[in-house]
Amino acid sequence: MEEISDQASKPILHWIPRLSTFIKRRGFSPLTKPKRQEQLTGYLTIAPAFILILGLTLYPVAYSIWLSLLEKHSFFPQQRFVGLENYFYLWKDTEFWSSLWLGVVYSAWTILFQVILGVAAALVLNETFVGRGLVRAIVLFPYMIPTIVAVILWKWLLNDIYGVVNYWMLAFGVVREPICWLGADCIMLSLILMSIWQFFPFVLLSILARLQTIPPELYEAAKVDGASAMRRFVHITLPQIRGILFVVILLRSIWMFTKFDTVWLMGEGAGAGRFIRTLPVYAYMRTLTYYQAGLGAALAVIMFAILVVCTIIYFGLFREEADIG
Amino acid sequence: MLGRRRFWAMGILILVFLFFIPMMGFSAEKKAVRIWHTETEPQSVKAFQQIIDDFEKLHPDLTIKQEALAWGDLEAKLTAALAAGAPPDASHGQAVTCASFYAKGLLRDQEDIAASIGKDNIWEAVRRQCFHDGKYYGIPHSAATSLLIYRKDIFKAKGLKPPETWDDFIKVAEAMMERDKDGRVTRYGLSLPGVGLFINIAVGELTKANAGRLFDPRTGRPKFTSKEVIEVLDFYKKLSATVLPPGWLGHGYLDTFANLATGKAAILYQGYGRGAGYIEKYAPKEMANADHFGVLVKPHGPSGKETAAQIDAEPWMIFKNAKYPEEAAMFLKFFFREENYIKYLHTVPIHLLPTLKSVRNNPAYQANEMVRKWKEWQDMQYRYFDTGQAKPTLIIEWDDLKLPFGLEILGSGIVPDMVTDAVRGMPSLQAASKAQARAEELITKLGYKKW
Amino acid sequence: MASTSFKPPSEVFAQPPSFIPHQPTWENFWRLFTSTNFLTYFRNSVIVSGFAVLLTMVVSAAGAYSLTRYQYLGREKIAGLILCTYMFAPIMIVIPFFILAKKVGIENTHFALVLAFTSFCLPFTLWLMRAFFKTIPLQLEEAALVDGAGRIRAVIYVVLPLALPGIIATSIFTFILAWNDYIFTRILITSDELKTLPVGVQDLFHSALIDWGLIMAAGMMITIPALLFFVTVQRYLIRGWGAGAVKG
Repeated sequence: MEEISDQASKPILHWIPRLSTFIKRRGFSPLTKPKRQEQLTGYLTIAPAFILILGLTLYPVAYSIWLSLLEKHSFFPQQRFVGLENYFYLWKDTEFWSSLWLGVVYSAWTILFQVILGVAAALVLNETFVGRGLVRAIVLFPYMIPTIVAVILWKWLLNDIYGVVNYWMLAFGVVREPICWLGADCIMLSLILMSIWQFFPFVLLSILARLQTIPPELYEAAKVDGASAMRRFVHITLPQIRGILFVVILLRSIWMFTKFDTVWLMGEGAGAGRFIRTLPVYAYMRTLTYYQAGLGAALAVIMFAILVVCTIIYFGLFREEADIG
Repeated sequence: MLGRRRFWAMGILILVFLFFIPMMGFSAEKKAVRIWHTETEPQSVKAFQQIIDDFEKLHPDLTIKQEALAWGDLEAKLTAALAAGAPPDASHGQAVTCASFYAKGLLRDQEDIAASIGKDNIWEAVRRQCFHDGKYYGIPHSAATSLLIYRKDIFKAKGLKPPETWDDFIKVAEAMMERDKDGRVTRYGLSLPGVGLFINIAVGELTKANAGRLFDPRTGRPKFTSKEVIEVLDFYKKLSATVLPPGWLGHGYLDTFANLATGKAAILYQGYGRGAGYIEKYAPKEMANADHFGVLVKPHGPSGKETAAQIDAEPWMIFKNAKYPEEAAMFLKFFFREENYIKYLHTVPIHLLPTLKSVRNNPAYQANEMVRKWKEWQDMQYRYFDTGQAKPTLIIEWDDLKLPFGLEILGSGIVPDMVTDAVRGMPSLQAASKAQARAEELITKLGYKKW
Repeated sequence: MASTSFKPPSEVFAQPPSFIPHQPTWENFWRLFTSTNFLTYFRNSVIVSGFAVLLTMVVSAAGAYSLTRYQYLGREKIAGLILCTYMFAPIMIVIPFFILAKKVGIENTHFALVLAFTSFCLPFTLWLMRAFFKTIPLQLEEAALVDGAGRIRAVIYVVLPLALPGIIATSIFTFILAWNDYIFTRILITSDELKTLPVGVQDLFHSALIDWGLIMAAGMMITIPALLFFVTVQRYLIRGWGAGAVKG
């Protein structure tokens, strides 16, 4: 037993130079030929995940799809089968299109900046410096707090009458009048800023984890060759993190598009919240405030369909990252 | 090595086993009665639990589980529970909610509870919260109205007179504003919540104070484009332009109290008795009393003669198809017994006013410090009740409760959107027409179109 | 947030706002622990999140390994299907999930909550781990296999150390997601003894007599454990080839 652990750890150090040249030249090697036993093990190890997920989400998803074909009041059991009528209704509903637009705007801006900020911060935190552990903990903070606390915090800070942000902006003469961060004009901006702050640590941590496993020899070799930091980033780092980045962007897109908690808590769908009434919020409202469960379910199905289509396109565009190595 | 692994395996097995125990533990011989309500303040939850504990001592075969939820959560849970065919045994609801549930035959009547209280003992002003077809289907757990709270000290210092009309009101509010040497406002005249529910409440009140109606009493057709409602929108526009903070649409309900308590706003139009507690906590000590924060009679609109306020008195609803409706009824009878009821009411003294007349006159109830200190606030609420000027949200006259779509219109956000549009520059008539069309469409879709 | 949790009520709204409270006090924390069920909620959150992380990580690590190391029919389709189930907005899944839980009889239990968390953590952990596993070249395992190690040992000594940063990152996310969940807990749990922290804090917030100091204190107490979890665990994120981290 002992020999193997020694043997396993030592050879890793030997393999790395072989590995790096290998990767540079050929990419990943083809898999070993599938054998019957291998296939079985393969199925077995994926089975628990598969069963759990399907078992737990199949019923809810099927229920929602069925519900979208009904006209049903959320409180009462009476229901009426109406086929695709809910979808046609939504097609003509201006609120639907406005919430779709708001949802897209929100998702696009937040994803873009979460990724940029996350990758940049990961690069910085990859370097060793004093207090790095502490900085990492602090930087992860926004993602860690429950949404309700984060929203309370931000609403507190951005309050136009007694908020700290306005106070400092006035004190430094940045603005002459306090800005109504949570008022109708700025609330989308505030929401986007807050969402970027809240979720960029996810990108950060994922990319950082990947950066940690890039062999440093690659960088050293490049430095020896005289490559600048930018070139090192583009030619070494970027290819190495592409796989992770692909999944991270995918996940964040799904999440931001269906994000409910943060958006709802900022505005609650009315008053100033009207201007951040994104698609998930609208679906919630139709189900739980208009009490039209069928329409709410139809909205959820529409969201789902949009995401599926976009994902298929995404996979198509970035085929290499999607494929198995 | 092997020993280690076995150790871990055992450890995990034990953890898993421990984990499943809670799941098995609750096989009850006791009947578990579920009661949901919306008084979430810790002291109210505690007092309620005390009542529950006392009740359980008398009925050892029952255990009552209370759950205190915010409104949004209550509705979500209710929806889930009803969808799963497992409603709670009793729950709070709004007047329109109770009406809707009654119309769908889901409620158990509360005639027996009313009888145990004494039908004459139930305060007339709130009897009709959920009273249909000659029977009680919901007895309110307490009662309160909205209040116009103002800075009495500033008011007196400036020698102002109580406003009677909306124009008067704007003038008074403007007079109470304050600016600093740079011309920036340090105290606004008015603070309103920009939250959907409160805009709904305000529009209902203002329309009534303007002698208008939101829905035609015969056909139920929305009347948003009527003159009275348009005047309400114009009033909002003027308020927004003069005395309200520019970001008011983003202010929450509690922000308004913070603004009042810290002197950033002079008046609240949508204040409630709860605010007294807030003021006591956050206003400077010397100012935390009714001499500084008083209440005025609300003004009426240009087309109206009388003012209006909103009733906040959620009826208890008992679900017929729940597991233990009879037991829930038993508990409610116990709840309304004076010694228990007073305990409950004293947790938020100025806001939870008694539904029972006998309690109101009970010296034990009166002997509460806050009740005495803020008596002016209580009296104003009683005044609104006694003059019939107080009605539930979006209800102008009691028969509006017969309209089957109250619940959905309330939740749809159509009315708050209308106000938002108007306040952001859309001409009042246009905003009203847009809302009118949306409301008509919603009512039609729900199948209630009768015009 | 930290500074407000130490302020007495009178200072909370003071202008100009100050970072250091003039009269720092523990009273907010004291009230938090005595007048609310905070500690119960805390314990529940720990239990539920802990189990959720355990379950999810074990299952998804196995699954991700399977997706990247074995070849079998329909492998990509399975991965794609799993991703698809993820695209249904969680908020809309809550109610049918509750109905399902009620049918099986496990509503209002921690077990149902753990399952709920697993259901919305598994798809993303699977995909994220898959991406991490893909970055580990097969040659390493193949070399170990050539050297005579069994598959399991190859995994433990070769793959796991390299995947460790990814595993750590993913488990942090899972923990946070479970720790901070609100809506599932709210709908599934009715007994006060079983509630978790986010639901508890929300109730505090909605008590109309809002106690800012208390809320901020609660916020601090919620964040600190997650922070501690991260700080202890993050040293495994450091660059290392596993010589130190893999023993026995």
